Amino acid sequence: MNELSAINVISKRNFKPRWVAPTLREIKRRKDVEDDRNGGPKIFHRSTFLEWLNYNAEIFAFSNRLGEKFNEATLQTALTHKSYVERETARLSDMGVDSYLQIQNNEELAVAGGEMISKFTNGYLRAVFTHVPEELIMAMHEFLTSTSNLETVGKHIGLGDLMLCSDFPCESETYVKSLKAVVAALAESSGEERARIFVQDLVVTQLYGLDINELWNPADPVGNLTDILKREGKAEPEFRLIKHSGQNSVLAVYYVGVYSDKNFIAEGAGESLEIAKEMAAREALKQLFHTEDSMKALPFGRQLKNIQSKIVQLENQPNLPLSKWISEKVTSAVH
Amino acid sequence: MSNKHLFLPSGFIRTPLQNGLGRYIPQLQRITLKFCKNHGGSRGVRDFIETDLMEFAKTNPGTVVYLKPRRHRYPCMVAEYLNGEREYLSCHEFSRAEIQKWLSYMCTRSGIPVMRFRKYQHTDYPSIQGVWNPFTHQAPEINVAQFPHEILSKPVDNGPTATDQLIEIFKKTQIKDPVKPEH
Repeated sequence: MNELSAINVISKRNFKPRWVAPTLREIKRRKDVEDDRNGGPKIFHRSTFLEWLNYNAEIFAFSNRLGEKFNEATLQTALTHKSYVERETARLSDMGVDSYLQIQNNEELAVAGGEMISKFTNGYLRAVFTHVPEELIMAMHEFLTSTSNLETVGKHIGLGDLMLCSDFPCESETYVKSLKAVVAALAESSGEERARIFVQDLVVTQLYGLDINELWNPADPVGNLTDILKREGKAEPEFRLIKHSGQNSVLAVYYVGVYSDKNFIAEGAGESLEIAKEMAAREALKQLFHTEDSMKALPFGRQLKNIQSKIVQLENQPNLPLSKWISEKVTSAVH
Repeated sequence: MSNKHLFLPSGFIRTPLQNGLGRYIPQLQRITLKFCKNHGGSRGVRDFIETDLMEFAKTNPGTVVYLKPRRHRYPCMVAEYLNGEREYLSCHEFSRAEIQKWLSYMCTRSGIPVMRFRKYQHTDYPSIQGVWNPFTHQAPEINVAQFPHEILSKPVDNGPTATDQLIEIFKKTQIKDPVKPEH
């Protein structure tokens, strides 16, 4: 009996005989002892259950759940891993049947899908963060296309039960490969446009709630700010102490403001004067890059309809790197 | 009367994988209806299967429906969600309408276990203008002021005092140009 014990029960009042609870307690105790001895409870793949009859139905539900149309054969290929094919051929040859299996695996699809995910993410980031230097775009791209992020996405769209792979429980790499292959399969079945919207809806939305200024910060904000203001023809930045409290104590705080020609630009706080000065310069740069804490909300889903063409255009056009930001006229290069 | 005595956990409302932000993905992966072909307690389930099941399956194409007839066992439904959670519900002696209702309940849930919501809204950006700190509304003149200061040493103006108000009233009652009485 491979029935997993259900853990969430919508319960009703039940009066059981006296001996039921102690018996169940003893059974649980023995089971826990066995599990500890075996290094954790035994887990089974969903397909070993009695109620797993219909792989086709699961595939059908998978494509409908996402609202996409897949080419059956391509999707099957996308979910089949090389390890599975190898295992099956080995099993058949062990049994004496020496047939070369015609099943394709998802290696090429995974590579193509990985490139597509990378491309679509970059397009979105460059279209939404128009004033941001390329270093921060790359940091955000790295986060979005990281193994952990793609694994989470793959798990939550139900790939775990559909993948044909030899390792169980499946590793992160398997999930990531399957997701990439699925994206490539979608592009092949319904076109690149749909695949782009798919990546925007599932992968890029994980950017929500993330503080992007935690991902990357310029190494020399004071120098960068000075150069930018000089290039724009404005006065040199002047740092002034605005507020301070708790000097000579552990909880000292200094507020330093950046002024250009007596005009207030930004302020930053820190435990010491140097830190506060750097934070103020960072805040000023954030304002120039349009990534302040109060920046506009990121667009997702339907809000992207108007900028889809811009996204396509910018997929292959990187933003200015920080070194160029300082020297070139930014407004001419910003999209 | 506190939360620590309850088995029902509490938390803030959330959704798996930012569902709905890009597109909405129905979180119910598959549902298994187990019933007896003969017993009276499964009558509601049997009636539901004969009449309303096809429509349910058509309106929820993202959910796989499994039917498992089991003799001499009470009917139940087990729902499995995309985040791996399972929900079990006994359908013994349910009517057809009740099954319909509970199924629609299962469909609209995410797999996150039932909990008491502390708040019915959630945001990752609780402050836009910045959280208040003791320096927020301080006048910058404090930095270069010599205390005692004419304005900054006094309490913030809350309006005229009662004495001032009485003086104003008295002045208003005064006759500005007294008319000389004609004798």
